[in-house]
Amino acid sequence: MFHRVLIANRGEVAVRIARTLRALGIVPIGIASRPDLAMSWTGAMEEVVCVGEAAAGQSYLDMERIVQAARQTRCSALHPGWGFLAENKRFAALCHQHGLVFIGPPAAAMALMGVKSPAKAAMRRAGLDVVPGSDGPLPDANAAAACAARIGYPAILKADFGGGGRGMRLCRDEAELREAFGAAAAEAAAAFGSGSLYLERYLAGGRHIEVQVLCDSHGNAIHVGERECSIQRKHQKLIEESPSPALGDAERAALGERAARAAARLGYRNAGTIEFLRAASGELYFMEMNTRLQVEHPVSEMVSGLDIVAEQVRIAANHPLGRTQDEVKLAGHAIECRINAEDPAAGFRPAPGRLEVFAFATGAGPGTVRVDTHLAPGDEVTPHYDSLLAKVIAHGATRAKAIATMIAALSGSRVEGVKTTIPMHLAVLASDAFRRGEYDTLTIPGWRGGGA
Amino acid sequence: MAKVPLRPIGRPLDAVLSAKEIAQNGASHAARRATLDERRARVRAGWGEKYAARVHEKGKLTTRERLELLCDAGSPTFEVGTFVNWGRKFGTVESPAAGVVTAFARVEGRWTMVIANDNTVASGSWWPRTPEKIERAQEMAQRLRLPVIYLVDCSGLYLPEQSRSFPGRFGAGHIFKKNSDLSAAGVPQIAGVFGDCIAGGGYMPIISDRVYMTEQAYMVIAGAALIKGAKSQKLSSIDIGGPEVHVARSACADVRVPDDRTALAMIRGEVAKLPTSGADFYRHGAAASPPCFAPAEMTSLMPGDHRLAYDAAEVLARLVDESLFWEILPDRGCEMITGVGRVGGLYLGFVANRQGLVDDPEHHGGKKPAGILYQEGIAKVSAFSRACDADGIPLVWMQDIAGFDIGVEAERLGLLGYGSNLIYTNSTNRVPMFTVLLRRASGAGYYAMAGLPYEPIVQLSTPITRLSVMEGRTLAIAAFNTKLDDEFEILTRDPEERAKVEKGMREVEERIEGDMDPYRSAAQMDTDEIVGLDELHAWIHALAEMAYQGVGYRRVKNPRIWSLHDIAALSRARG
Repeated sequence: MFHRVLIANRGEVAVRIARTLRALGIVPIGIASRPDLAMSWTGAMEEVVCVGEAAAGQSYLDMERIVQAARQTRCSALHPGWGFLAENKRFAALCHQHGLVFIGPPAAAMALMGVKSPAKAAMRRAGLDVVPGSDGPLPDANAAAACAARIGYPAILKADFGGGGRGMRLCRDEAELREAFGAAAAEAAAAFGSGSLYLERYLAGGRHIEVQVLCDSHGNAIHVGERECSIQRKHQKLIEESPSPALGDAERAALGERAARAAARLGYRNAGTIEFLRAASGELYFMEMNTRLQVEHPVSEMVSGLDIVAEQVRIAANHPLGRTQDEVKLAGHAIECRINAEDPAAGFRPAPGRLEVFAFATGAGPGTVRVDTHLAPGDEVTPHYDSLLAKVIAHGATRAKAIATMIAALSGSRVEGVKTTIPMHLAVLASDAFRRGEYDTLTIPGWRGGGA
Repeated sequence: MAKVPLRPIGRPLDAVLSAKEIAQNGASHAARRATLDERRARVRAGWGEKYAARVHEKGKLTTRERLELLCDAGSPTFEVGTFVNWGRKFGTVESPAAGVVTAFARVEGRWTMVIANDNTVASGSWWPRTPEKIERAQEMAQRLRLPVIYLVDCSGLYLPEQSRSFPGRFGAGHIFKKNSDLSAAGVPQIAGVFGDCIAGGGYMPIISDRVYMTEQAYMVIAGAALIKGAKSQKLSSIDIGGPEVHVARSACADVRVPDDRTALAMIRGEVAKLPTSGADFYRHGAAASPPCFAPAEMTSLMPGDHRLAYDAAEVLARLVDESLFWEILPDRGCEMITGVGRVGGLYLGFVANRQGLVDDPEHHGGKKPAGILYQEGIAKVSAFSRACDADGIPLVWMQDIAGFDIGVEAERLGLLGYGSNLIYTNSTNRVPMFTVLLRRASGAGYYAMAGLPYEPIVQLSTPITRLSVMEGRTLAIAAFNTKLDDEFEILTRDPEERAKVEKGMREVEERIEGDMDPYRSAAQMDTDEIVGLDELHAWIHALAEMAYQGVGYRRVKNPRIWSLHDIAALSRARG
């Protein structure tokens, strides 16, 4: 096993990874930008290397400095966390060249899943259904129109190299499609360096359901159940839960098995998440695969008892998976709320500031509560990076108990100094639609503050 | 130190050049690229539809159709010698591709050399330079240990020109010498005989390890035309040497098949029985990965005008995987770049010329033009070349060089001696070497950087390559030296005399300009192929796969024991 591992990330995920590394007897080494050096989260690390300035391009995205940091601290592996360089295959290749084990999938899998239309084609071959759409990138608006005529409107244009909604355009008819094509391509080119677009049938009211898979270096693949992440605002997930209230037991088992088999067929390695869109009619279509640890991984951990980061580290050290699918026992229900330093009453505007008071009611019951955070009272929430304050994860024997636990934890929380999204979460949790499990990616049930 | 510490190189195109420069370079290449495509199409067409129809009437496929069926679907083939005999007339006719297609092609996942007579050009007969072209392909195959597949459909020498293709050192008979050399070296050869196979041509298939004959094929020392009484006996060449004779009785061939398609399918089956490629083993755990910056951007990066500079590191950034590169001796001999990168996951050594101005080690703080060889650069390249040979890292020479430095200082520093050392190194290297004449390939620079006389396995030119002993202007100055003053201005004041000298110099310049046309070099076999700048990456990737396909015939050291590490360790600054 590795002795020292560099965590090439910051904040919440860095602290999360460090916790598991210490539990495994591995020394966690951190990196930090100049303003982050003073942050309390760096205390979770045994050593911290300053890798540059506040701007991510000069610190957390500077591949050579990070590899240098790993070498000078004698690390034998590197965990990229999420965001920043986590899905950068060039960085993975660079780590490999310098004898650093990249705790993640092989660069080739990252490359394949990083571009949407080849990823769709590969997953179709590996046995998953994909949303009806173009076979690959579209050369021009005429091709897009021809494809849309085949699959029907409304259709959605998406960027091949994209994510986060940029370069995406919903088109209700051919005129809209032709008008949107150029702008979407330009937006994609500006954001992702490639204007390549593809087209899919737009499935209104779909649900976002994703399966957590783990694959080792020896051809074994298991799944750790699914997560439902349909409560979103502008494609950013707000609340995630496992299991999904939309799936029955048989459907759940079949989906998990299909996802794990597809990952194995691809020759995938390490932890990954296969995202599906569940249409109102019930079909489950492959959307994309995230080749990294996900922000919402704790809900899977809470229902399975697994430590997904620990599994990632073991897989990277070529250990076989410690359990078969039958030995993965999923129990109870878990919900995660992402608490951001944003003002929900003001269009979710980022609200940086100094955290005066920061406490969650973790013992209020009836279930258990886990809080993943990198912040402590007195810490400054800077505007340099994302606005995540904490993830609160509640587990209960049933979904109702998990919701009750979450409501108790959040309503008993005390956060002063910055505005947070807690009021929005409480409104959602209290809504009938959420309690019934009837929601989709379009609306935030119970929340009338707008911004959806 | 066992790691191969590749580092990120390169920048996005718009950070390197202005939009105007990108557009200018792109436009200049687009025109040259269109010419290349148009000329390739003309060669591919052979003698045209009429002759293709004749082939079809006989129930046979054209050579191009055969290639299509032989090669793995979706895998590109890489032709060499496309422009041999380009523009050359024999009486009233031309011989596109010298009547034979020679191509690196993937069959059942293995790289092979396919040598296929073009049956739409004078029934696949052998023209002047056809034997040399076939022999060159055989040599490439032998040096890379690639299985050779012959698709034979050849009516013998094109007789009116026999004096230029039959008797010489590299005359037609030398093909069979090469067949024998390949056999002696243990390189598998498979032949399909699809039609005529007359006279000496018969030896070519028969020396092959497996010989397939279609029912339309015959092999004869002499055809019916030369057999007395053949006409009265209604004896055809098929009766004399068809499969009924050679498969059933003489055992000169192994297997008879009804038609072209069956033959090709069965030849594929033979290749499938050969060992698979070792390349994946030699990727040392990596996977093939494209460069971070698109290889097609080469056309926007490189100015077509040979007088304009560019950043050679940006060229490398568009060739190596993920644009990661380990430059060896980066602080010495800065007119040259030497280093290692992966292409398709396989390690290759690169030698490239920097352009523009570089530091002058002889004059502290001074600058001097790159694109020329100086003492340190020569020494560096020689040491790098020798180390790659010792380590089994195939070398790619990327030439854009005006020659050696000249003058009093250059001679005092002993450039002749250092140059000879480099020549010796490259001449005696056993590692596969590939040479790309990126742009200028002038004078001794062309020799020092493993130009064709130093027997690289393949030498590629681009549409902007200029290959000659020196630029036309320089050559004109040398030729008219006695008429010029110290500043190379014309001495005489006599207007008539001046006009004469000016005209003479202009003519020399124009003639050299014509000589430097890459199609001229390709026609004369002074270079193996002309490829678009946007195709270079695919070519180098394929050549890397070929260099690592065979196992056990050449030294391939794992990176832990590379002697390159010694050079890197000894060149690291102290303190």
